Amino acid sequence: MKAFLYRLLTSITMVYLLIPAPVSAGGKKAKPLVHVADTRVLSGTYLYFANMYNENLLLFGIWTVVVLTALGSGIGFLMDIIMSKIGLDLRSRELRE
Amino acid sequence: MEASAWYMMYMPISGIEIFWPGLVLIGFAVGVIGGFFGMGGAWLVTPGLNILGFPMAFAIGTDIAHIAGKSMIATIRHAKFGNVDVPLGLAMLIFTMLGIEIGARIVIYLEAIGLVGPVVRWVYVGFLACIFLMVLTDILKKRRREREKIGEEDKLKGGIDWASTLHKIRIPPMMHFEMAGIYCSLWLPGLVGFVTGILAGFLGIGGGMLRMPALIYLVGCPTHVAVGTDLFEVMVSGLYGAFTYTLKGRIELIAVVVMLCGAAVGAQIGTVATKYSRGMGIRFWFMVCIVVCMISIIFKQYGLTLIAGILILAVVALVCAIIMGIMFKGAAVELREKKAAGK
Amino acid sequence: MVKTNLLSTVLTITIAVALVIPAAVAAEVVQGKCVAIDEKKKTYTIEIYDTTKDKEHPYGRSTNKTIVINYSKALVGKDPEVGDILRAAYKAEGPENVAIRVMNVTKQDIMRK
Repeated sequence: MKAFLYRLLTSITMVYLLIPAPVSAGGKKAKPLVHVADTRVLSGTYLYFANMYNENLLLFGIWTVVVLTALGSGIGFLMDIIMSKIGLDLRSRELRE
Repeated sequence: MEASAWYMMYMPISGIEIFWPGLVLIGFAVGVIGGFFGMGGAWLVTPGLNILGFPMAFAIGTDIAHIAGKSMIATIRHAKFGNVDVPLGLAMLIFTMLGIEIGARIVIYLEAIGLVGPVVRWVYVGFLACIFLMVLTDILKKRRREREKIGEEDKLKGGIDWASTLHKIRIPPMMHFEMAGIYCSLWLPGLVGFVTGILAGFLGIGGGMLRMPALIYLVGCPTHVAVGTDLFEVMVSGLYGAFTYTLKGRIELIAVVVMLCGAAVGAQIGTVATKYSRGMGIRFWFMVCIVVCMISIIFKQYGLTLIAGILILAVVALVCAIIMGIMFKGAAVELREKKAAGK
Repeated sequence: MVKTNLLSTVLTITIAVALVIPAAVAAEVVQGKCVAIDEKKKTYTIEIYDTTKDKEHPYGRSTNKTIVINYSKALVGKDPEVGDILRAAYKAEGPENVAIRVMNVTKQDIMRK
C-alpha cells in the first residue's frame, strides 16, 4: 500500500508539471466574477446560508458537502422504508447511476 | 423570499427568480430517466437550469452538487460498495478530481471573459449528439443481432480488443489491480479518470456514461467491478465537484435540495418501471428527449428562452408520464397477483 | 443495520458541524451606485439604494445616503467604475467599513446575457 501511494504521488506530481501553463495561468488574466448574496431581502435559513456565502466560502463549502451527504443518505434511507412498506420488491433490480 | 408570484422562487445567492415547478420537474425527470434507463440523465440538468434562468456557471455547479446527492441516495439504497477495486478507485479518483478542478477552472475563466454561456451550450449540443449516436448504434446493433439470431456471448467477438492492446503500453509505474484482475500502467485508468473528470467538471455531469464503457472496454474491468467503481467515483468526485464549485461561489444550495427531493421520488418510479418493461421501445423516447434537449439549447442560444423552456419541460413531462404509465400498470398487476396468491 | 449506523454517523457529523460554527456577527450588505473611487485610500463611495424595485428602478431607489467602503482586503469582481451599481458585503471595523466581497452588478448583468 505504501509503495502504491508513493507511486501515485509521484505520478500526480508529474501530471501537475505536465498541465500546460495556459490552463493553470488562464484564470489570472481575466478577473473572475464575484457574487454577493443580497441578505437585505432574506430571512431564516436563507439568510443563514447567504451570510455564510458572503463571509466564509470555505465554511459554506463544508456545509454544502455535509448537507448533500446527510440529505442524500437520509432520503435514500427513507425511500427504502417507504418502498418496502408499499410492498414492491426492488432488491432484485440493478441500478446504475 | 421576495418572489413575485407563487410559482416563482427566489434564489438567494444568484439573486434570480426561478419557476420552481420547472425545477421540481427537472429533478423528478432526471430521477425517472436515470432510474429507468440506468444511466445518469444529468445532461438534462445543466441545460434545463440554464434555460430556466440560472447563469451558466451556477447551472453547472448546481448540477454537479445534485449528482453527488443523487449518487449518495443510490449508494445508500444499494450498498454496492462491495464491488469497488479500492486501489483502482483511488488511483482514478485523484485524476478524476484533478480533471474536475481543471474543468471547473475553465468554466470560471470562460465566465470571466464572458463566453461561458455560448461555449458550454455548443459543447453540450456536441456532447448530446454523441450520446444520441451511442444510443442509436446500440439499438441498431441489438436489432441486427436479433435479426441474425446471434447470442449475447458473441457480441464482443470481432474488432480490436482495446483493453489488451492498451495493457501492452508499459509506461511506469505498472500496477496490478487485484479485484479487477488487470495489470497495466497507472496512466491508463488515470487518463480515463482525468478525461472524464474534465468533462464532468466542465459540463456538470457525473461522467458515468463515459467512465463505465471506458472502464470495461479500455481498462478491461469486469462489468460488476466497473459498476461498483464507477458509483464510488461519481459519488466522491461529485462531492469534490460540489465543494470546489462552492468555493468558487457558483452553487445554489436551495435548488439542489428541491431537485434532490424530486429526483429521489422519480428514481423509485423509474426503477420500479424497469421491472415491467424491457425498455427497447421506450428508448425511442430517450432519443427524442436528447434531440429536444439539443434543440432547446440551440433556441436558448439564439434568445428564444421561452420556447426553449416550454419545449424542454414538455418533452420531459411526456417521457415521465410514459414511464409512470408503465409503472402504474405493472405495479397494479403485480399487487393484484400478490393479493390473489395470498388468498 | 449498517445503513442505520451510517445514517447516525452522518447526522452526528451534521449536528457537530452546526454546533462548531461560531455565531459571528453577520456581514452587512449594501447596494447602490458607485459615486466615487479613491484609489489611494482604496475606497468606494456608494450611494445607497433601497430594496424596492420596479421596471424603472431595477436596482432599487436611491435613499440619498452614502457609505464609504474600504476594498483593500476584498474580493472585487469586474473592475468598478463611477456610475456602476455595486453590491458589497462588509463589516464595520472601528470607524471603517471593510468590504469582504464586492459585486459589480451592472457589468455582471451585461455579461450574464
